[in-house]
Amino acid sequence: MSSIELALWSFPILLLLIFVRVPIGLSMLLVGLGGAWLVYGNFAPILNQLKQVTYTTFSNYNLSVIPLFLLMGQFAALGGLSQALFKAAEAWIGHRKGGVAMAAVGACAGFGAICGSSLATAATMGQVALPELKRAGYAGGISTACLAAGGTLGILIPPSVVLVIYAILTEQNIAKLFLAAFVPGMLAALGYMIVIAIYARLRPQEMGAMAPLPMKERWAATVRTWPVIVIFLVVVGGIYAGIFTPTEGAAIGAAGTGIAAWAGGGLNRKTLVGAIMGTAIATGMIFMIVLGAGLYNTFLALSQLPQEAATAVASWGLSPILVLVAILVLYVILGCFMDSLSMILLTIPVFFPIIMALDFGLPPEELAIWFGILVLIVVEVGLITPPVGMNLFVINSMARDVPITQTYLAILPFVASDFIRTAILVAFPGIVLFVLRL
Amino acid sequence: MIAWIYRLANWTAIVGGIVLVAVTVMVVTSVAGRALLGFGLGPIPGDFELVEVGIGIAIFFFLPWCYLRGGHATVDLLYMHMPPWFKRTVDTFSDVAMLAVWLVLTWKLWEGMLEKKEYMETTFILQMPLWWAYAFCMVGAVIGCLGYVAKTLTRFGLASEPAGWTVEANAGH
Repeated sequence: MSSIELALWSFPILLLLIFVRVPIGLSMLLVGLGGAWLVYGNFAPILNQLKQVTYTTFSNYNLSVIPLFLLMGQFAALGGLSQALFKAAEAWIGHRKGGVAMAAVGACAGFGAICGSSLATAATMGQVALPELKRAGYAGGISTACLAAGGTLGILIPPSVVLVIYAILTEQNIAKLFLAAFVPGMLAALGYMIVIAIYARLRPQEMGAMAPLPMKERWAATVRTWPVIVIFLVVVGGIYAGIFTPTEGAAIGAAGTGIAAWAGGGLNRKTLVGAIMGTAIATGMIFMIVLGAGLYNTFLALSQLPQEAATAVASWGLSPILVLVAILVLYVILGCFMDSLSMILLTIPVFFPIIMALDFGLPPEELAIWFGILVLIVVEVGLITPPVGMNLFVINSMARDVPITQTYLAILPFVASDFIRTAILVAFPGIVLFVLRL
Repeated sequence: MIAWIYRLANWTAIVGGIVLVAVTVMVVTSVAGRALLGFGLGPIPGDFELVEVGIGIAIFFFLPWCYLRGGHATVDLLYMHMPPWFKRTVDTFSDVAMLAVWLVLTWKLWEGMLEKKEYMETTFILQMPLWWAYAFCMVGAVIGCLGYVAKTLTRFGLASEPAGWTVEANAGH
């Protein structure tokens, strides 16, 4: 069997392992080791690489940003910052029809600016907003759905762990990717609010409203969110301005949210251990996948498959947009079953060269950034698509009185808004790229 | 014995977390020092290396706990609808494969460490022997082996999990 054939065969075997529920990182590791053994003809070369690979993967400076961003998110959840954000958003729009749900989305967007993980955003904002939505007379389905959708803003709005991984895999500038993700992230929040507004028109009986607050109290509530604004500006601004590296930015962010949590009375020995354990499990999970994907991609690269595939697809003469759309659709389908990081680590080494070999009329760097943002959006859709969108489960586990079927039904308009936004960004790359051209 | 290993993994993860927090403090101090360059202060020498070594150790220390808690990402769609014998087979396969892979990785890490020691490789700025970092990581890796042995023994019914043990639902992202 040629190495290309081996690489092609490795896909179904890998998917089989993953779909019977062997941990994803372990599956990639096994198939990667097995594949490399077959390509080399013996085990010695790959075993020799293992002397270094594990240590160098775990101690890679670029990847060190991930545990630090995770720690930052864990601290952010402790500090009462989520409460402040929700109260501020509610003060401004809570009295409108559907306003409390919109406020929940707005607060998620704010929290996303200091947290790089969707599940953490959904879980944290769910704790704050679900009781308030219930009190304001919102139906179960729309309450859980708006928070599940809002949770994806955790990763769409920088900082974002998925973008960090994409940047490392494709050797792009993290700062530029973060900047480019900002406008699409805002559009996502706006889209979700429009969905809620339409929902409120169609089913007004499912939503209550709060009494409007005087201007003074609105501003007072807004001022209380200052730690979030300061931390976001320092971390993302500092990274973009080149004052510090992403890792340094993440460390400063972790320290900032840690201090905010301590000042807010949320940080004691018990919650600190909880935050550390949360970080430990999420970090372990990510680096197991990174290690497995690294070995699997070593095998793929040995087999020459990514280059061959890129040349082959380019030679078919398909329209570039068609190829792009096909890849995005594949991500949406895969995303219904698989988590976003595994998908990106597994597929980007193959898809990225294909996209870069096609002519979209964009310079290579802009193309790489545009594709990264589109991938980021479609993999995050997977978090809210039934049947196994993780955000749906997270929120539903907090609202036991809402049947999951109601959440499934209410999430569909939000998924539709994601698709519409993706279509707009595919048609008009300038929306993503204009900030970089300024 | 099993309960002891689980507790050990728990403490290992906490130590990893302390290392992570220490790295955070070190980086913030270093950035602050760099910002105050005009006042005679400066960045911590070799701060990049310390980040790499610290994070590497922390991750090795996190992994045993992550696995014991069922923290690794999985696709549960088909599994949920499968008969018990199927689930048992898959879980047994995963545990044995994880143990086997980790034994190999630990063995290779050990050899890697001996090589670094033999060639006296050091970090660039601090001139710290690289095998020290490997040695710390070995501690986490060996505890990982213990943890995976414990898990596998439990799977084969040769031991039982500590009372009240629960695994997390997918802790993914």
